[in-house]
Amino acid sequence: MANEILEEHIQNEYKWGFTTDIDADEAPKGLNEDIIRFISAKKNEPEWMLEFRLKAYRNWQNMTEPHWAHVSYAKPNFQDIIYYSAPKPKKELASLDEVDPELLKTFEKLGISIDEQKRLTGVQSNIAVDIVFDSVSVKTTFKETLAEKGIIFCSFSEAVQDHPDLVKKYMGMVVPPTDNFYAALNSAVFTDGSFCYIPKGVRSPMELSTYFRINASGTGQFERTLIIADEDAFVSYLEGCTAPQRDENQLHAAVVEIITHKNAEVKYSTVQNWYPGDKNGKGGIFNFVTKRGICLEDNSKISWTQVETGSAVTWKYPSVILKGNNSVGEFYSVALTNNYQQADTGTKMIHIGKNTRSTIISKGISAGFSNNSYRGLVQIKKGASNARNFSQCDSLLMGDKCGAHTFPYIEIKDKTAVVEHEATTSKIGEDQLFYCKQRGIDNEKAIGLIVNGYCKEVLNKLPMEFAVEAQKLLAISLEGSVG
Amino acid sequence: MIAEKSTITHNLLEQLQKHAGKIAFMPDAEIVSAIRHLESKGVPNNKHEDYKYCNIESVLRKEFKQVEQELNTLTSNDITPLKLEEAINLVVVNGNYSEALSEKMIVKGLTIKSLTELSSSEKELLSSQAKSETDALIALNTAFSGNGIFFQVEKNNVIPMPVHIIYVNSGNSNFVTNARNFTHIGASAEVTLIESFYNIGSSKVFSNFVSEKFVGENARLTCYTFQNEGSLSYSVNTNQVKVSKYSNYTNNTYTLSGELVRNNHNVELAAENCEAHLNGLFITNGTQSVDNHTLIDHQKPNCESNELYKGIAKDKSTGTFNGKIFVRKDAQKTNAYQSSKNILMSDDATINTKPQLEIYADDVKCSHGTSTGKVDTEALFYLKARGIGEENARKLLLQAFAQELIDKIEVASLKERVLHLFEKAL
Repeated sequence: MANEILEEHIQNEYKWGFTTDIDADEAPKGLNEDIIRFISAKKNEPEWMLEFRLKAYRNWQNMTEPHWAHVSYAKPNFQDIIYYSAPKPKKELASLDEVDPELLKTFEKLGISIDEQKRLTGVQSNIAVDIVFDSVSVKTTFKETLAEKGIIFCSFSEAVQDHPDLVKKYMGMVVPPTDNFYAALNSAVFTDGSFCYIPKGVRSPMELSTYFRINASGTGQFERTLIIADEDAFVSYLEGCTAPQRDENQLHAAVVEIITHKNAEVKYSTVQNWYPGDKNGKGGIFNFVTKRGICLEDNSKISWTQVETGSAVTWKYPSVILKGNNSVGEFYSVALTNNYQQADTGTKMIHIGKNTRSTIISKGISAGFSNNSYRGLVQIKKGASNARNFSQCDSLLMGDKCGAHTFPYIEIKDKTAVVEHEATTSKIGEDQLFYCKQRGIDNEKAIGLIVNGYCKEVLNKLPMEFAVEAQKLLAISLEGSVG
Repeated sequence: MIAEKSTITHNLLEQLQKHAGKIAFMPDAEIVSAIRHLESKGVPNNKHEDYKYCNIESVLRKEFKQVEQELNTLTSNDITPLKLEEAINLVVVNGNYSEALSEKMIVKGLTIKSLTELSSSEKELLSSQAKSETDALIALNTAFSGNGIFFQVEKNNVIPMPVHIIYVNSGNSNFVTNARNFTHIGASAEVTLIESFYNIGSSKVFSNFVSEKFVGENARLTCYTFQNEGSLSYSVNTNQVKVSKYSNYTNNTYTLSGELVRNNHNVELAAENCEAHLNGLFITNGTQSVDNHTLIDHQKPNCESNELYKGIAKDKSTGTFNGKIFVRKDAQKTNAYQSSKNILMSDDATINTKPQLEIYADDVKCSHGTSTGKVDTEALFYLKARGIGEENARKLLLQAFAQELIDKIEVASLKERVLHLFEKAL
């Protein structure tokens, strides 16, 4: 019975798998210094930026791919990727009317409005969106409203041109180009991304959001996000992503850096829904992302919330370095894998400052033939007195062909630290299902209900608009997948 | 880097080969493949995931550049204080079974002999569980295996008293020992086995012990590992255990001293309805390091495993717990529980824990918990308010923390010894 439903719903197709027929300006395939110079020239970058890229590239050449994650995949051929692809603008854009109608249609289909007017009709609520299509940012909404408050929210390329001092000061501060293989690659070839600076004492009046879309075939997406919250500032930031359905594996290697100053707070939420591959595990996005934040000064806070449902292979560890005294790091995650998806995700909490606190709540759900791993590090450095960490990682298994794993590393060098970790693995109980069915809730809905209940602690942390989307996503990705 | 790695291994191999005679009981093919594995992989350092917190290579580089062969020069006077009164005491000196120092007693169903005395069918059992390719230190032991003990309980026999194997190292210059043991418990047999580790010599020893244990159907093996090797000793203890249907394997490990102690405890639950219980307690001081590494491999349905490890780290010492529960695809209805609790007593001490779950079956109940902290300040206050000095109150609380594990000892003289040394270490 359950198997039939599983079969039926595993067929559920990826709803964002369409492609957009749009002219793109592409770099030739492959990677060498010339390509990097090409990208840099395309973006009209200053000399120091090109230097940064080339240095990263030279480093990258001496690095080897990491193999420690609990995933297996065919190594991407780095010479077979197009590192730059931009929708070809018909001419210089002055207003929305001049945006390629194909592009507008795409985002309409995705349910994302780049038309600020629609805000009034309530289609999209109070969110400023930066949209990254393949490699470049196509449109940032509400820029003017934000500018009134002094908030800088623009594409990374614009920031390089308009705010070079800020970019120079903060880029690579948390994720240096030498950090790891994919961060180095990203530093060399990143094409765009979002930049956000909240000045002293400002609370962002709306949610800021970036929407990533891979469209062109054979391309990789390498974007970079940099968020800086100055003293007493606050911002809530959202990130979403989709990609068309293709047989090939496309590479997405992003870098996200967050820096918070004194008393500042950044809340970063992701709903990751890259194309996961078909039900036989063919195609899908390789999602190798480095996300890290630093609580640079006292009393600051960084909170990561993620809902991971897409990608063929995920390799992602949003981390927080708690440097300032009394700083707080949080990580809330729901990772769902189905069919042949593989996810190795978790976090790192590095406690350096005194009285630092961190919370980790991770909920893994595996169905089909998938493998889902939590990998985390909690490190209390010497001198981080009264540091406190609580971690909880739960796994839910649906069916007997999938795997759920936990690899927590806990390293403590301070006697006043208190660190707790607990993990459980279980499945949806027959009794829970029976209870629901007895009350007239069908199998389908009952599973949705139970899974949503299981993830509630995390979903509650999402901004409202995202929470609804996330719940729907979860339901679509696993309805009925119970054994 | 790679060149350096291989020089350390090569140096070790050279030094050991200088003294090594022919190991008659180990099949030649095993020795050849063990040496090949060692040469190709080298001894593990902290880049090796399983030895992340335990750098064997640096120990060998720093302390064991030059190793000598040490022979048995001990007399029964040296051994007497190590014995346990209610047990049959057997002695292994520097990796070799010493019949002269061991007690002789004829017990129905119990066979004890040195590995050189094995029949050809018994020889085949050696290395059947501890495989050279899985760990460089197993390979090292296999290539230079000492003439250890073959310990067998025939089926349907319950051995009325515990058997105590004393592994004692003693030498006057730095040396390496590779003690080996094979324990075979027949169907429906029962025995309590105590393994104690000491170093009573004046020089440093790298002790690389491998024990293969097989627990037959419906049998029960209760083991105690008692480690009090002192600050001159660096030891790696590998237990490779295979548990059969309806049987029960229990091991309690007490680590009271040793400069570096690494315990690899790998248990295969190879048939349905069997269970394994692993417990451990350590207290470290000075610059000591204790690393408990366990793997419970649930291969078949309806098995159960429990782990409870507690540790107290003082001064500049390090305590590590790395436990892995591995549930294979077919192992439905598995119950696996793991818990690790630690107390840090100093700002220079370190606790590392890595409890892992790797699960491929859905109808299972698996959980792990780990916590690390300080002595409860409220409890401390409670005791102080009742006129108990801070120092004593702290000791009392630490004793209470450890008591749960000390109470698991059912051999009175061993319990007394553990309790005495634990209190001394506080």
